[in-house]
Amino acid sequence: MDRRILINLKIDGKDIAARAGQTILDVARENDIYIPTLCYLAGTTKAGACRVCLVEVEGARSLVASCCMPVSPGMVVKTNTEKVRAAQKMIVELLWSSGDHNCLTCEQNGNCELQNLIYWLKIDKPRFAIEAPRYNQENTNIMIQRDLNKCVLCGRCIRACNEIQVNEVLDFSLRGSHAKVGPAFDEDYINSACVFCGECLQVCPTGAITYTQGKFAGRPWEMEKVRTTCAYCGVGCQMDLFVKDGKIIKVAGNSDYGKPNEGSLCVKGRFGMDFIAHPDRLTKPLIRRAKGEELQEASWDEAYSFIAEKLAAIKSASGADSIAGLSSARCTNEENYLFQKFIRAVIGTNNVDHCARL
Amino acid sequence: MKVFRSHLLICGGTGCQSSGSLNVKKALLQEIEKRGLAEEIKVVETGCNGFCALGPIMVVYPESVMYVSLNASDIPELVEEHLIKGRVLERLLYREPVTDKIIPTMQDIPFFALQELRVLKNRGLIDPEKIEEYIARDGYAGMAKALTEMTPEQIVQEMLDSGLRGRGGAGFPTGLKWKFAAQSKGDVKYVLCNADEGDPGAFMDRSVLEADPHAVLEGMVIAAKAIGSQHGYIYCRAEYPLAIHRLNVAISQAKEAGLLGKNILGTGFNFDLEIYQGAGAFVCGEETALMTSIEGKRGMPRPRPPFPAVAGLWQKPSILNNVETLANVGQIMLRGAKWYASIGTEKSKGTKVFALTGDVANVGLVEVPMGTKLGTIVYDIGGGIPKGKKFKAAQLGGPSGGCIPIQHLNAPVDYESVVQLGAIMGSGGLIVMNEDKCAVDMARFFMDFCQDESCGKCTPCREGTKRMLEILTNITKGKGKEGDIDLLEEMASVIKDAALCGLGQTAPNPVLSTIRYFRKEYEEHIREKKCRAAVCSALFKSPCQHTCPIEMDIPSYIALVRADRFEDAYKILLQTNPFPSICGRVCDHKCQSKCRRGNMDEPVAIKFLKRFITDNAPRPKIEPVAVTRKEKIAVVGAGPAGLTCARDLALRGYSVTVFEELSQPGGMLRWAIPSYRLPRAIIEREIDDIRQLGVTIKCNTRVGKEISFADVSKEFDYAYLAAGAHKSQKMGVEGENLKGVYGGVEFLRDFNANEDKWLKGDKSLGTKVAVIGGGNSAIDAARVALRCGAEVTIIYRRLRQDMPAAQEEIEAAEHEGIKIEFMVAPLKIIGAGGKVSGISCQRMTTGDFDASGRKKSVAIPGSEFTLQVDSVIAAIGQVPDLSFVPQDSGVSVNKWNCFDLEKGSKSRTTNTRFYAGGDAVTGPDTVIAAIAAGHQAAADLDAAIRRTNKEPIYEAPAREKIEIPLIIDEETLESPQTKMPELESAVRKTSFAEVELGFTKEEAIKEACRCLRCDAQL
Repeated sequence: MDRRILINLKIDGKDIAARAGQTILDVARENDIYIPTLCYLAGTTKAGACRVCLVEVEGARSLVASCCMPVSPGMVVKTNTEKVRAAQKMIVELLWSSGDHNCLTCEQNGNCELQNLIYWLKIDKPRFAIEAPRYNQENTNIMIQRDLNKCVLCGRCIRACNEIQVNEVLDFSLRGSHAKVGPAFDEDYINSACVFCGECLQVCPTGAITYTQGKFAGRPWEMEKVRTTCAYCGVGCQMDLFVKDGKIIKVAGNSDYGKPNEGSLCVKGRFGMDFIAHPDRLTKPLIRRAKGEELQEASWDEAYSFIAEKLAAIKSASGADSIAGLSSARCTNEENYLFQKFIRAVIGTNNVDHCARL
Repeated sequence: MKVFRSHLLICGGTGCQSSGSLNVKKALLQEIEKRGLAEEIKVVETGCNGFCALGPIMVVYPESVMYVSLNASDIPELVEEHLIKGRVLERLLYREPVTDKIIPTMQDIPFFALQELRVLKNRGLIDPEKIEEYIARDGYAGMAKALTEMTPEQIVQEMLDSGLRGRGGAGFPTGLKWKFAAQSKGDVKYVLCNADEGDPGAFMDRSVLEADPHAVLEGMVIAAKAIGSQHGYIYCRAEYPLAIHRLNVAISQAKEAGLLGKNILGTGFNFDLEIYQGAGAFVCGEETALMTSIEGKRGMPRPRPPFPAVAGLWQKPSILNNVETLANVGQIMLRGAKWYASIGTEKSKGTKVFALTGDVANVGLVEVPMGTKLGTIVYDIGGGIPKGKKFKAAQLGGPSGGCIPIQHLNAPVDYESVVQLGAIMGSGGLIVMNEDKCAVDMARFFMDFCQDESCGKCTPCREGTKRMLEILTNITKGKGKEGDIDLLEEMASVIKDAALCGLGQTAPNPVLSTIRYFRKEYEEHIREKKCRAAVCSALFKSPCQHTCPIEMDIPSYIALVRADRFEDAYKILLQTNPFPSICGRVCDHKCQSKCRRGNMDEPVAIKFLKRFITDNAPRPKIEPVAVTRKEKIAVVGAGPAGLTCARDLALRGYSVTVFEELSQPGGMLRWAIPSYRLPRAIIEREIDDIRQLGVTIKCNTRVGKEISFADVSKEFDYAYLAAGAHKSQKMGVEGENLKGVYGGVEFLRDFNANEDKWLKGDKSLGTKVAVIGGGNSAIDAARVALRCGAEVTIIYRRLRQDMPAAQEEIEAAEHEGIKIEFMVAPLKIIGAGGKVSGISCQRMTTGDFDASGRKKSVAIPGSEFTLQVDSVIAAIGQVPDLSFVPQDSGVSVNKWNCFDLEKGSKSRTTNTRFYAGGDAVTGPDTVIAAIAAGHQAAADLDAAIRRTNKEPIYEAPAREKIEIPLIIDEETLESPQTKMPELESAVRKTSFAEVELGFTKEEAIKEACRCLRCDAQL
């Protein structure tokens, strides 16, 4: 389909030109018209499951899920009619009352999409008795905590697991109001094929899947968000550190940063930040001046001078080929480039390699 | 070809197999072998014959004699009689449910005669596992035509012209679906058959697959040719093993015959198909979920668009058609669109197969033209409702559908009409429900099904159905709240509008349709904790007690009869009923209609047991109650309503005076019901008890005549108006004012006032009397007239089953020699010399159904005839005479000449000081309803007085504790109701002695032992 074909439609009385293949939701977002969503997850199959994004389309038999309805010429869409709001409220009330959505100690408080929806729809309290399903919390691993009592069954984690990370660990089991999300045979993550990428955690709109490390460690509004590049490997994944009192509480991907990782992270990048504050971590250069001597703290200048002196001495005594360089996969591409340049051009040897080549 | 003298077609459908047809077949083969008939007689196992309730079924050809409910042990006799001696074996033939008439041949049985077979044309006629038999019945001829003579465009056009719409339920034009898929680009396309039949009560797809599997295959090949597909799937639920087996047989036979697979019929066209077994999720009948399931994924629906015609199975263009839809296709190709469209309605062409089930005599599969009236299906084909019960509603479309109530029996069943009535065609499940089904419970049942079958993907369906079920369950458990109905309606409208797939979108339909037609039942459950069908058992102790308008403690007094404690039983009677002795004789015993024992054999004779107690136990002594309250209360009318109210108020310490126009109290009990049904001493005894309490009854005092309405209003603080309905309705025919024409109640009143004169002949009806009407007073008048020595004919314009009179009264009248002319209406009364000499009548036939669910009677032109009679008694109904109420009294009277009650009150008129009840409010009703009205008025009046005086509410004095024995039998054997001993009819004809003689002690205890003790809390 030619995506450049323009389609004219009306949303909330506004004339809009859209491209063929776009959904109503896509077009609305491009034009700053807010339609709430819950199960929608960019880059994955359009599920149309939560029904929060309903809109009215003239001539349609019923309300329409904007997240999966392609635009068509002459379409007249209304996003804020009484009928739409009544349906959205009922749906959100149903979700609210179906789980243990108690915000007092929820890690997602202030960052919860369900909470925001309830507030935005101005619902005081649900008309239905709150009946959480009484699942046990899953605390059997040190990274991801699951509390299915807070799950709204939007299926985002399932699509993230199957379609983004393609780990194919999660799916629905059981049926109807008994439906639940999890690995095969209702196992805990730790006993399943899960690789703990944490993609599920990142896409969960509520407090159903949260960081074990972040538990009781800080509220969203107490944390400073610091954008950085992951130091684990050369891919250069972009990520946000959530920092409180100079300490990293948790790490999250951010799809706004785009390439290379489009918001995804791996187990190391997301959960492996213990080393940062570890007492064994080297924070200053150490020099062992003579064989058998203790390592001694030194300044960076001292250290560089020491290295330069020694390398120059070796090169003049034994020739450049007596020196070899081995760099690290944890360096960035640029650093590795500089390193080989240094070995080849400055030292003058081709004896250079990289740990990840093995 | 080998020729046989007889073919025995024995049904091998799932229904008949489960009732034992395979054993019957085995016995048949053995017997035929034994008798050396194997060369002469052939046994064929066919697919479903359709009349599943009567299985195992066997039809003997060529004479097409049908034997039903066969047992292997019947076979030797059957072979001997029919096949050797050539006589039909009557005891195994079909009997018509209402008339009990034997109908030997299949084509004469209304169930079959009124059907129009197209989809089911081969049912019960061919061996489904023999392709030759299918071919012999024009099988694959339509496919041959489509493949050799038609282009894909022509096939699609033929389908469009036929007007065939999807029989799976949604009714989308099949041709259009095919057209879209044909237009889709791509060389891989799929033809899918939806055989995931899952509606509770629907089994037509299974039957088609079992009886005629090739018809479906043929349809699929034609569809494949039309859209350009080479591969297909039949998605059949795994719970249909016989259907799957027969499909597999059919597929391999068709392949072998070159009718399926590569190069079909040598045309170069290839189409292969396989069966995919569904694991039993209802949602997999939804097209996108079905495709997801075939793809090997969890069967959940996907959003549309893209539609399957563009991107279906594995994202390839696909069409999905229902079994029944596909089974029509071959014939449409062969006989043409015009032939197909020749029956049906404007927008719904052809026939529809219904799975007729529930409370209907003939359970089975029924194929009728679209637009056939619902009443025709239920009554004419279905044989009506068993056990004389009343039709309540038919659930059409299963859990996604809605119910169609009694007032719409004339509705044509086609796609548009049923939607207008709030149901859907669905796959054609038609569940008939009688009056013993509760509307709320039914909605709860279907909602339970839907929430259980919801896949859980979308919020409205997953959480919404669960919450709706919760609300419905609460209502059926007596925990309903005000606002529940509104919330249900709001939720229903959101779920319909917001759910992802058809399952969720239609799940609220049963709730909406029951609220639409039975809102009052919902309100009764919520406000009064009452279930009129006596189904929601959390609301009551026992169905009989719950159904009794005054909630008599029936299980207790029956238990006491069984324990030989009659005096205690009498005390229980009097707790709620001031007239147990009267009710033991003339009550219409609604309690018995809901008696659970009736589901097993016959209801317990509650009425007779009540009478037995009052006849045999000493009547508990009545102590006068002192007047302790200052308010004086007048009661107008000394019938059961007025006297009950007077008694209750006296018990509460009020001074009560009852005004009665006639010379004796009792109202209709005394003045209309004849003494052979209700001896006068019985009435007097019970009324005396009320006098004993301190109530004053002033007879011969008509308000408005002997005492003015103004005086009553002045002298009394409050009044209860229970004047009854003592005026006969006019027939509205010529000659009604002639001498010798009586109103029913007027005649009975005159007879009861002047019995001597009538019996001595001072007053006379002459020798021949016609009584017009079919209610209890018509029968009473007729039986009294008979006792006056006349020859009596009752003229009734409808059918026997439509008569409102009690069944036992009708039988008694006929037994005594009264002739009843059904389906006859009076035209005019002929006079000679100012006196009746005859009545001209007209015969009627049945027409459409009326709002009460009975067939209207329509005159047959030229059928007029005259009866020579000396008198005519018109007993077609009564109205109250409220002329004693002045217009300026503030008490309003409505157009039916009854009192209007204040909105929200059950007994207060539009004037705060006047209450009313009984027939004067409701029109003619029963004794027990009048007693209930009297209780209600007394309670309301007392509460109002106390409210005005700012007094606390009345607390009844503590009742004497009577321990109720609980004996539950380990095992209950079938035994019919104990017969009431009666006077011989020869004696009855000339006597006013009581006809029913009453149970003996042994009979009573035996009858009491039949009670199943539904009240027991174990």
